[in-house]
Amino acid sequence: MSAARGAEAPTQTAQSQNDVEPSILDFAGGLPGFADLRRFALVRWGGDNSPLCLLKSMDRPEVEFVVAPPNVFFPDYEPELDDGTAERLGLSEAEDALMLVILTVEKPPESATANLMGPIVVNKNTLDAAQVVLADSGYELRAPLGGK
Amino acid sequence: MLVLTRRANQSIMIGHDVVVTVLEVRGDQIRIGIRAPREIDVHREEVFRQLQAANRQAASPDKDALDALGALVPGPREARPG
Repeated sequence: MSAARGAEAPTQTAQSQNDVEPSILDFAGGLPGFADLRRFALVRWGGDNSPLCLLKSMDRPEVEFVVAPPNVFFPDYEPELDDGTAERLGLSEAEDALMLVILTVEKPPESATANLMGPIVVNKNTLDAAQVVLADSGYELRAPLGGK
Repeated sequence: MLVLTRRANQSIMIGHDVVVTVLEVRGDQIRIGIRAPREIDVHREEVFRQLQAANRQAASPDKDALDALGALVPGPREARPG
C-alpha cells in the first residue's frame, strides 16, 4: 500500500497523494441524515493528482459527497478507531483501512470545511464502510481546509 | 414516550438484543451502559444530530463551487473528465 497517507507534510509531490481506488462502498449502517442509503460509488475527481473524490449514492444519484484523504489537508490528523468500529468493518490491520473525510464545499472555496469528527472508514478488502463518530476526540465537525 | 422507573444496576430491554443499564446516579448525571449488536450505532443524540446536519449540508455540492475548490487544492490540475 502507498505511504501517501502517512505523516508526510502536505506539500505538492510528484506522486499522486490519492491512492483511492474506484469502488462501490457498502455503508451497512447508512450515514447520519441518509440512513436509507447504503451503496455509494467512490470515484476520483479532478484528474490524477487531485486528492478529491466523489461519493455518489447508487440509489439517489442526486446525493453525492466530496471526500478526500484527510492527510492532504490535515497532516497531524490521526484519529483512533474504537474496537467496535474496527470489528464491525472487519479491520484487523491499519493498512486495510482507508480513511476519508467529507468536505463541505462553500462559496468562496476558501471557506470549505472538512468533517474531522465524522470520518469515513473503509475496509479496502471488503469495501465495507462506515462514518465513524469521534464524539470525545476534540476533532472539529467543520474544520477549515485553509486552516493554517 | 414510554416512561419507566429504574434504579442503579437495573436494565431495560429494547427489542431482543439491546440492553440499556443504569450504572450510576450521581446528582443530575446518570451513567448508562448500552449493550447492542455491533451493527447498531449508539450515539449521544446531540452529537448524532450535529453529524446529520453536517452531512446534509455537505451533500450534493454546487458544481461551480466544487470546480473552484478543485482549483485550490494541492496537486497539478487536469480537466475534469466528461
